[in-house]
Amino acid sequence: MSYQAEKTLPYRVELYRQIKRKRTLFAYAFVLSLPIIVAAAVKFGPSGHSGGPTRLGSGTADLIGLATQGAANFTITMFYFATPFLLIAVVSLFNGDTVASEASWSTLRYLLAAPVPRTRLLIQKLKVSLTLCAIAMILLPTASWFIGLIAFGSKPLQTPLGATLANNVAIHRLIIITIYVAVSLLFTAGLAFYISVTTDVPLGAVGGAIGVVILLNILDAISGLGSIRVWLPVHYSFSWFDALSSSIQWGSMIRGASYSLMTFVLFIAFAIIKFGKKDVTS
Amino acid sequence: MKSRLLVALTLLAASFSGFDVAQAAAPVSLPITLTIKGAQGVNLDSSLYLPSKLPAPAILLAHGFGGSKDSVSTEARFLADSGYVVLAWSARGFGQSTGQITMNSPKNEIADVQNLISYLSTRSEVIQQGTKDPLVGIAGASYGGAAALLTAGYDKRIDAVVADITWNNLKNSLFPQSVQGSNTAGPFKKTWAGSFFAIATLPNAYLGECGNFSQEWCDAFVNSLSAGKPTARAEQLLQDSSPSTVTKNITAPTLLMQGESDSLFQLSESVATATQITNAHPQTPLSMFWHASGHDGGSDESALINKKTLQWFDIYLKKKLMTFPKFQVVDSNGTISLQDSTVIAKNLQGSVLPISANSIKMSGSDLIQLAPNLAPFTAPIGGIPAALSSLPGLGGAISLASSAIESLGGGIPGGVVSPALLPGQSAIFDSQPFTAPRIIIGASKVKVHISSNRKDATLFFSLVIHTPEGGVKQPNGLVAPVYVDNIPQGGVDVVVNLPAVVVDASIGDKIAVAVSSTDQGFQLPNDGRFYSVQMISPLTIPVTPLAAEISKSDFITWPLAAFLTIFIAIGLVYWRRPRHNDQPLEDSDALVSVTNLSKVYKDGYKAVSDLSFSVKRGQVVGLLGPNGAGKTTTLRMMMGLIYPTAGEIAIDNKPIYPGSPALANLGSFVEGPGFLPHLSGRENLNLYWRSIGRLDEPMIEDALKIAGLGTALDKKVRSYSQGMRQRLAIAQAMLGMPDLLVLDEPTNGLDPQQIVAMRKVLKQYAKTGRTVIISSHLLSEVQQTCTHVVLMHRGQLIAFGTMKKILTRSNKKVESLEDIFIELIGDDLTIGKE
Repeated sequence: MSYQAEKTLPYRVELYRQIKRKRTLFAYAFVLSLPIIVAAAVKFGPSGHSGGPTRLGSGTADLIGLATQGAANFTITMFYFATPFLLIAVVSLFNGDTVASEASWSTLRYLLAAPVPRTRLLIQKLKVSLTLCAIAMILLPTASWFIGLIAFGSKPLQTPLGATLANNVAIHRLIIITIYVAVSLLFTAGLAFYISVTTDVPLGAVGGAIGVVILLNILDAISGLGSIRVWLPVHYSFSWFDALSSSIQWGSMIRGASYSLMTFVLFIAFAIIKFGKKDVTS
Repeated sequence: MKSRLLVALTLLAASFSGFDVAQAAAPVSLPITLTIKGAQGVNLDSSLYLPSKLPAPAILLAHGFGGSKDSVSTEARFLADSGYVVLAWSARGFGQSTGQITMNSPKNEIADVQNLISYLSTRSEVIQQGTKDPLVGIAGASYGGAAALLTAGYDKRIDAVVADITWNNLKNSLFPQSVQGSNTAGPFKKTWAGSFFAIATLPNAYLGECGNFSQEWCDAFVNSLSAGKPTARAEQLLQDSSPSTVTKNITAPTLLMQGESDSLFQLSESVATATQITNAHPQTPLSMFWHASGHDGGSDESALINKKTLQWFDIYLKKKLMTFPKFQVVDSNGTISLQDSTVIAKNLQGSVLPISANSIKMSGSDLIQLAPNLAPFTAPIGGIPAALSSLPGLGGAISLASSAIESLGGGIPGGVVSPALLPGQSAIFDSQPFTAPRIIIGASKVKVHISSNRKDATLFFSLVIHTPEGGVKQPNGLVAPVYVDNIPQGGVDVVVNLPAVVVDASIGDKIAVAVSSTDQGFQLPNDGRFYSVQMISPLTIPVTPLAAEISKSDFITWPLAAFLTIFIAIGLVYWRRPRHNDQPLEDSDALVSVTNLSKVYKDGYKAVSDLSFSVKRGQVVGLLGPNGAGKTTTLRMMMGLIYPTAGEIAIDNKPIYPGSPALANLGSFVEGPGFLPHLSGRENLNLYWRSIGRLDEPMIEDALKIAGLGTALDKKVRSYSQGMRQRLAIAQAMLGMPDLLVLDEPTNGLDPQQIVAMRKVLKQYAKTGRTVIISSHLLSEVQQTCTHVVLMHRGQLIAFGTMKKILTRSNKKVESLEDIFIELIGDDLTIGKE
């Protein structure tokens, strides 16, 4: 009998186990639906018949008003729409459900008795859930770009600050934005993963993480809280906007990314410690 | 423990962070109201603010035009709270002070300030450096800024100067001339001059048309307004009130602040003052700060201005060790905050002043080719319509609105529609589109050829950004007025100093020089003109080495804290890891040995206590007991899912703990099957096999035969019946034929035929030297299958031995296990043990 702990629950096996799930496909469909619905609404919306596309937003100088400018603007606006909820929901789903659903299917105990060492189980699951998140993060801008290209053409990026960025520059900026948004969502990922380890109810883990993040967003919107808000990890979720000025402003993005990474690492550490000591009774 | 750690981490992060911790509110002390005698016996209404710690250096705080000592009370309190004696006064002609306004005349207003310095030398609260020489700095904005500079030029007792949005030369501010080297007065800035005059006269209209102005100044204003150019007397007065006359005497450390949103005293005023001070005394500490505020409004920069002012005085009056950059610029077009839609400015700083002085290394420049075409245009008769570049107090807002209007309209080919550049009255000379973003900070210049049909020309040059959509952005509505006379027939070549600006150009933008023949802010010729203008040199734009103010906390502390956290987290995980004894136990021939095993759950429930038994190879052991006897808890501990409270389990003499390699030798089916419902039975078994880290043969086919699922094997587990899942789970437990098979209620949900088959399979399994542990409540079933029995009740071992031994236990021959069970346990079915 030969057994190697480092061969247990290989990445590809776990990826296959997760990717074959319907919720994975639903999540990606959810992400894809955003640009499709918005583009269709603008193209065929009520004011679309009276010449010119439906205007999103009120002015020409704001981000949403510029959405129909071209593929680049459309993609940026999709990020704007997706940052406060859609991406949070998707990230919470992938990370919150990963361990809790194994518990609810009773597969967790058979994996642990195999034995897949507990820390390894979490690390492998985390690798896969982050991979799924990364796919969603790439899917959103890529799909938005192509849908925007078909619907609105390839005009260069028009920023709300009045700058115009050629498409090659805009793509470069979008890559930076994508990476930043992904990193800033690590806080949500870590939180969801931690809750996932503590509960056997997958929906509880996903909903709990979404609830906490939304609560923090509400707190962040209360200007009366003043400078306390800079300590909320969600405070920096829109810092990617700094990548839209004619030369990129890194300060707040670096702060946000560092903060998100910090909280993520701590959540994962606490998840591993908690799971290592836990009596698995599911 | 965990929460303490979190607190410690938070504190650690807090000590690293650059966030301002809210300052404790300082007690508000009321100022002392005083009347101090100025020059010529004028009464100066003053307020003295005292700090809590005395004696302290003093600061003279001068107010702006139209204000009084009360308009600087916020700043005065701020400086007093920061440890300075602050003396604020109403200048003569303003507030409660007597006397008439003479625009900072050295004989009047400046002499007043000198009296104030002498007064400070009598106050014991102020640190004195010698007789009649207090340690004193002076600060002010606009009118007050000029007072500060002039006082520093006339009185050596001033030890530090901070002058904000003020003039260098009043004549050049009101009659701006942007032709390099020209002494001719430029076009009269009538709107601003008129507003200035009105501010001082209207509230005091009962005093007559001159209000509180001295007769001399009143005449100068009135005559200039009507003539459109300064009279000789007015020129003399303007000259006397200009810091440019005394900048050569200024040796006190000077901070020059100027506003980017200021069409009255443009950024170039601070450049002129800085150049003059540096030329006369290169050693004089001098710094410049261009902020986004100014006479046209802009954004509120008072917090930043107060901060810089305090820093300057702290360095030069309190001798604090701090670095203060030579040149700082607020680029207000930094970025927009989506959270509250405000523009977030970006602070730039550098070590080189944006001036060209004789003695110091000047900032560099760059040449940009402009369209070389000859552009003809007219100046309308009567000066109407006239372009609108800025309005006092509104400034840039107008040009911003105009560029928005224009990008909507898409522009008109060949012409530019903008209130600042009217068609037929203006021309625009473009560069090639930029291929990289660029910030232009400071004054540009260009050589132009001007011809006019009337021997003179009044023109308004500006540096603008021409966007790819055709929009024109005129930064802050700033223009460089030009008046050239005696133009010969073929025209004249002049070098025009364009307005100093802070402007961002994006990729694809063109930089352009715009020329307009009209501007509503200025006196224009009434009789119409026809001009042609041509650029005859490349545009020279300044290259000032500036870098974004690096926030140490953003670029160093935060990433460092993140990395530190990673190490802390790894350390934490390592330190708090479960520790297991991995020493092999003493040799025994038992495959499974359970020694003194106990489990007390967190809620105090004692599930298993002091359980010991051992199982040898080839045995089929029945684990029996009523519900709640602790069977499942024991099995879970055997699988490494639950930590025992005491005692231990070993398989093959290797201790069992979560993740123990010895578990690889155990196949289990406990408390029901566990499968991925969205995959088929075959996929489930395949993936499980690939997940358990075993390198030998899975013998999947053998296991599948046991499951007997037939074609259902390729259907999703979701569609399986309970019995099918059960069989699949037992097959999964047997994958790879482990030495020890642990089955919990394996026959639940099986048909009688399947039960019989299962019995055979299990016996077969044990025959190969492997071991099976079955927990069940079906006693007859166990009786038929097992060779050994472990009987548990309330977490304790009741009986343990071979089936035969158990059946003959009470010396009276009984037929069934059931009887024994009832005899041993009775009808005490209380679950567990409290």
